[in-house]
Amino acid sequence: MAMPPSDCFHCALPVPPSNEFQVEINGELWPVCCPGCKAVAELIRDSGMSGYYTMRDAPQPGVGRPTDDQAEWRVFDRDDMLAAFAEIGDGNATATIYVGNMYCAACSWLIESTLAKTAGVRSANVNPITHRLSVSWRPDATGLGRILATLADLGYEPQPLAPESAMRPEVAEQRAALKRLLVASLGMMQVMMFAIGLYAGDYQGMSPDMQRFLRLVSFLVTTPVVFYSGRPFFAGAWRGVVSRRPGMDLPVAIAIAAAYTASVYATLTNGPAVWFDSVVMFVFFLTLGRFLEMRARHRSIDRSTALSTVLPNTVTRIQDGAQRIVAAAHMLPGDHLLIRPGESIPADGVIVDGETTVDEALLTGEARPRQKASADKVVAGSINLDGVIEMRVETVGSDTALGTISRLSERARYARPAFVQLADRIASYIVVAILLIAAAVAVYWYQVAPERAFVITLSVLVVTCPCALALATPAAFAAAGARLAGLRLLVTNGNAIEVLSRATRVLFDKTGTLTRGTPVITSTRVMDPSFDEVTCRQLAAALETVSTHPIASAFALQANPSVASSQRVAIGEGVEGTIDRRRWRLGRRHFVAPAVAEEPAVPDAATRVYLGVDDRLVACFTLADEIRPDAAETLQRLQSLGLSVGMVSGDNAASVRQLAKTLAIDDFHSGRAPEQKLDIIRAAQESGEIVVMVGDGINDAPVLAGADASIAPSHGALLAQTSADVVMLGESLQPLLAGLLTARQTMRIVRQNLAWAIAYNATALPLAALGYVPPWAAAIGMSASSLVVVLNALRLSRF
Amino acid sequence: MNILYVLIPLALLLLGGAVWAFFWAVGSGQFDDLDTPAVRVVMDDDTAPEDDTSA
Repeated sequence: MAMPPSDCFHCALPVPPSNEFQVEINGELWPVCCPGCKAVAELIRDSGMSGYYTMRDAPQPGVGRPTDDQAEWRVFDRDDMLAAFAEIGDGNATATIYVGNMYCAACSWLIESTLAKTAGVRSANVNPITHRLSVSWRPDATGLGRILATLADLGYEPQPLAPESAMRPEVAEQRAALKRLLVASLGMMQVMMFAIGLYAGDYQGMSPDMQRFLRLVSFLVTTPVVFYSGRPFFAGAWRGVVSRRPGMDLPVAIAIAAAYTASVYATLTNGPAVWFDSVVMFVFFLTLGRFLEMRARHRSIDRSTALSTVLPNTVTRIQDGAQRIVAAAHMLPGDHLLIRPGESIPADGVIVDGETTVDEALLTGEARPRQKASADKVVAGSINLDGVIEMRVETVGSDTALGTISRLSERARYARPAFVQLADRIASYIVVAILLIAAAVAVYWYQVAPERAFVITLSVLVVTCPCALALATPAAFAAAGARLAGLRLLVTNGNAIEVLSRATRVLFDKTGTLTRGTPVITSTRVMDPSFDEVTCRQLAAALETVSTHPIASAFALQANPSVASSQRVAIGEGVEGTIDRRRWRLGRRHFVAPAVAEEPAVPDAATRVYLGVDDRLVACFTLADEIRPDAAETLQRLQSLGLSVGMVSGDNAASVRQLAKTLAIDDFHSGRAPEQKLDIIRAAQESGEIVVMVGDGINDAPVLAGADASIAPSHGALLAQTSADVVMLGESLQPLLAGLLTARQTMRIVRQNLAWAIAYNATALPLAALGYVPPWAAAIGMSASSLVVVLNALRLSRF
Repeated sequence: MNILYVLIPLALLLLGGAVWAFFWAVGSGQFDDLDTPAVRVVMDDDTAPEDDTSA
């Protein structure tokens, strides 16, 4: 993949000017930004997998950065960890691992190929849609920790999942559906073959024995198709009857049952005709339709395990003064845990010892970290930034604040499907109408020509089967889902497409949506003329190497000539360290230079960080959350599509106002708690607007669920992704536009399909009722009309 | 035409075998992922295996 020489070949970050790291791939020398990227690129090359670079969709900045902490993974080699995360049988261990930081199919190939070359690994399969790796290995040859370390070496973020969440209901459902589809399709092919023989016999003559034999084998093959493949239709019809809300399944089940029973009767009594061919064709096309619909439904990110992927898998429990690492699932209220800097907090609880700052952005949306000391409460899902603390666990799992928010958003999601309820109600009227018409036709023909009554009634039932009607929407949605996935948008809720096509207003969250969510240095003011800007940044970077605070990442440099020693983190104040035998400090103004008079506080969005030596100020860095490069253009184009845009944020007024000014947003709200954000959405909805919410972060989950449709950028908290209707992959906001346009196009196709289906049924019904359509023609007509609908929908995936 | 009395039951036996084989394949998880195989065919290792010339 050709790239400007100034960017790293591996991670696409800019290469610092004075850099001599290079890597040779396919005989050419490419620049890389750091020794870590060089090592990863060489690892990929030496395993014969340079193809990764040509196959990946786009280089992802920051992806594939090596971790140097191998000890972290070694704990997974222990037997109790193996028991907690893997299933063991036949001398093999099998585990499911969630692979974070995975972006495209090339990643899954890289992972599979690399693991396949690891000694002891028997098989490795990655599903790029769900980001799940299923790996099986011989525990005596290698360990789970080794496998996780290999993944981490490649730059991914592996998270082993507990085995009970490995076999998901979707997998079982898909397996059953595949089996049904295969039985129906093979059965249909066989029975059609026999049917051709039978029809030929009608014209050319056939020995009665042969006719009976062909009918008998047709019966043999049709029986499993009806009772195995067709079972869901009977079950659905029965549910509809019991709940007094007949669905599309009822006429289908009646038609199948009637045609099958009559054919069996005719076979046994040598009656004039059998309809096994119509029965199998009917079952096959309906099963195919259901299968396509199910596949579209499953193209969503798994919800049930989302909660556990935010939280750590292992915790350090303190018992009788000894530390022991245990699986997080074994954690109980009352346990004392040790939390090191950089770790996330696994449960709600109270700090019993130590002080630190924690990043609660996931829960509160507040970008600035909070200070916590002994007796302060900490919540699960927040990140411990700079101090070592001991905490007492109070609640775990779904009882925590995080779990409650996730339940709340579940409820909000289930309370919504008004659109679906309406469709079901209309469907039951159509079904009742079809049954009444069929009954009327039966009564009429029974009086006029009793010998034709059954055949004609059957034709009416089959020909009016609302299949095309039933397929019109799901087929278009399935095709749209595939197209959107190509545009790096994953639809988790089919309703979203319909809503997006009607959207009138798009509301954005600020942090992590319109901005990148991580601070960068926007300006450097040098206050001491004996230093220049570059030196100041290098000195600051050297000091920050000990800190895990988000601000420290803004200072990080790839190559740095300055090295600090005896560094110390002053919690909530800054860092200090020795460089060239002088005491340097970086942080708040009064921490760096206590003697210098305090500057008047500027009501400003930006965070200021000062650098000083020996109580003297040297430089002032201004840090701000960087706006996404395509935010302004995206907002402008949304407006040109006729949508109004707005911003709601939990952040402080100054920073929100500044961003709104930069992006020319007239309508913005700052300092809003999740409930207030929800109120803003409700107010807009009451004035008749269709609101789309774009946001990430767990505090947004109820807000996302309350909007008419919601879109979450994938780098946000996993939980927000799962409550969102649409998940946006990658760093760009552009897919939003493409998604809205696709949604509009999809609804156009749905309308075309519905119009076609209604037109077909309106013409076919009178013809069938008048007796001009034999059952086989009815089955073909029904299938053809369904096919037209599906092919029309497939046009969506071909733009 | 009497050969049909043998050939059709034979075909049904083969059909039964095919269904059994497919059920086994589905049960062992070979069809759980229907997304990756579509793109997997274009992915190759870019170095030749080392030991295929000696034989």
